[in-house]
Amino acid sequence: MKRRTWVVRTAVLGYVGALIALPLFFVLQRMFAHGFATLVSALENHEMDTALWLTIRVALVAVPLNVAFGVGVSLWIVRHPSVTSRVLDTLIDVPLAVSPIVIGLSLELAYAQDGWLGRPFAAWGLHLMFNYWSIVMASIYVSIPLVSRQVIPLLREVGTHQEQTAQTLGAGRVRIFFTVTMRSLTWATAYGVTLTLARVIGEYGAVLIVSGNIAFVTETLTLNISNNFENFTPYQGFVGAGLLAFSSIFVLLVLGLARHRERLRHEYRS
Amino acid sequence: MSIVLSNITKRFGGDLVLDDVSDEIPSGSLTALLGPSGSGKSTLLRIIAGLESHEGGRVLLHGRDVTEVPARHRQIGFCFQDYAPFNQMTVFDNVAYGLKVRRVPSAQRRREVDELLGLVHLGDFAERYPRHLSGGQRQRMALARALAIKPDVLLLDEPFAALDAQVGAELRVWVKSLQHELGITTILVTHNQSEAMEVADRLVILNQGRIEQVGAPEQVYDKPASDFVHGFLGPLTTWQGTPYRPHDLQLCDEGRGLAARVLDVIRLGFEVRVVVQRGDETTWVQLTHHEARQFDPTIGSVVSLCPR
Repeated sequence: MKRRTWVVRTAVLGYVGALIALPLFFVLQRMFAHGFATLVSALENHEMDTALWLTIRVALVAVPLNVAFGVGVSLWIVRHPSVTSRVLDTLIDVPLAVSPIVIGLSLELAYAQDGWLGRPFAAWGLHLMFNYWSIVMASIYVSIPLVSRQVIPLLREVGTHQEQTAQTLGAGRVRIFFTVTMRSLTWATAYGVTLTLARVIGEYGAVLIVSGNIAFVTETLTLNISNNFENFTPYQGFVGAGLLAFSSIFVLLVLGLARHRERLRHEYRS
Repeated sequence: MSIVLSNITKRFGGDLVLDDVSDEIPSGSLTALLGPSGSGKSTLLRIIAGLESHEGGRVLLHGRDVTEVPARHRQIGFCFQDYAPFNQMTVFDNVAYGLKVRRVPSAQRRREVDELLGLVHLGDFAERYPRHLSGGQRQRMALARALAIKPDVLLLDEPFAALDAQVGAELRVWVKSLQHELGITTILVTHNQSEAMEVADRLVILNQGRIEQVGAPEQVYDKPASDFVHGFLGPLTTWQGTPYRPHDLQLCDEGRGLAARVLDVIRLGFEVRVVVQRGDETTWVQLTHHEARQFDPTIGSVVSLCPR
C-alpha cells in the first residue's frame, strides 16, 4: 500500500515536472547563461523595455476594467436571473472556447477602419486597430471570464441574507457593497485578478493580429520575445521570456497564498 | 409598539402567496406566525421588515405607515434562520455594525456592544469570528446584533429550526425570558406548533396565504376555528367517526367502553401509543407510561376504549 502511494506520487510529480517545471527551468537557465553583466545590458535593451512598458500599460487598464466588469456582471447574473443574464452567462465563456487567433481576427474584421464597427469611429477620426487601444481590447476579450468564473459560485454560496441583515441594520447600498458583499468576495476576486493579470501579460495570439507588431509602438513583451527569435537575437528573447516566467512565478505564489487562505476559511467553517 | 397589517396581498408570478391578510399585533407581545411550509408566514415577516415587496395592503408600525419606507429606515431587528453572520468580521464588529452605521461614537459603541454581548452570554467571544462559534452562539450573536440598534420590533424567522433539539429547547426558554425582560414587540415565524405554543403568548395560524385563526395558544388549541387548525395544532384520530386528540381517549375497564383489538404498542419513553382497531376504524390512543402499565395492552389483545 505504502509502496503504491510512493509510485503514484513519483509518477505524478515526474509527469508534471517533465511537462511544466523542467522546461520552465531551462528558460531561466538560458537567461543567466552568459553572466550577470550580459544579463544587465540585455535588461537595458531599449526595445524590450519599451515593449515591457507597453505590456504594463495595457495591464493597468485591462485588469481593473475586467475586475469591475467581472464583479458587476457576476452580481447581475446571480442576483437578477433573467433570460438576458443567462445569455450573458454563456457569452462570457466564449473567450475560453475560442482560439486567441480567431479572437484577434474577429476583432480586426469588426474594428478596422473599413470594419462594420470601426467605420463610424473612423468617420470621427478615431482608429481602433493596430494601436494601444486594440491591444487593450484584445486583452480584455481574452480574459473577460476569469474574474466572474471565480466570483459567481461564491456569490451563489454566500446568498443574500448577510446583505439583507445589513439593510435592516440601516446600511445603504454602497456601504453594504463594500463592507459586506466585497468582504465575502475578497479572496475569490484576488484569485480572479491574478488569473486575469497572468493572461493579459502573457497573451500572444490575439495581440499579434490586432497590434500590427510595430517595434517601439505596438510591440508587447510577448511579441518582442518572438521578434527576437525571428531576428536571430535569441538571447534577448530568452531574457524577455525569463521576465515573463518570473512574473508567472510571482502570480503563482500569490495564487497559492489566496488558495491557502480560502482553504483555511472553509476548514474553519465546518 | 403595535404592528398593524391591513389587507396584505402578495403574488409570486401567478401564485397568490398572501391573500388579504390583516392583523393587529399588540405592543410588547410575542406573536408566533405558525403554519406549514408554503403558508406565506416567512413572506409576511419579510414584508413587515421591508425586505419583500407586496401588491396590496399597508404595514403600520406604531401608527406610522411604513409601507413605502425601505427596510433600512424601519428600525426593525431581523434574524434569519441561518443567522447570516458577517463571516469576515469579529463577533464584536458584527454586533457593532448597526451602531457604526448610525455613527455612534466609538467609546459609546464599545460600551453598548459589551453590554449586549454580556446579555447574550458572549462576553468572552468578542474577538472571535463567527466560524468559531456553535450554532446556538451564532444565534445569540445575531440577536445581539439585531438588538444593538434598539429596534422597535424584533422579527425572528424560524430561529430554532437549524439547532440541535436540546440547544433549541434551551434557547426557546431563554428567548422567551429575554423578550419578557425587554418588553420588545416580537414576531416569530415557525412551522413547529409545540415551539409556537411554548414560546408565544399569541398565535397567528396561517394556511395557504390566509389567516385561519388568531388567539392565545390555549384558546386556539382548545377551540380551533377550523378543521385545519384542529389538525395542525396536534395529532388527530377518529373514534366512532368523531375526531379526537389521542390523549382525549383512554383505556378503561371492561363494560364501560367499546371493545377494540390492539394492533400495535409504541413506547416513546414517558408516552405510550396504542393503536387499536374496531370494525373498519383504526384509532390511536396516547397514554402515560403509568396508565399503560395499569392496563398492560399487548398486541392482539382486546381492550376497552372510552373518551376521557
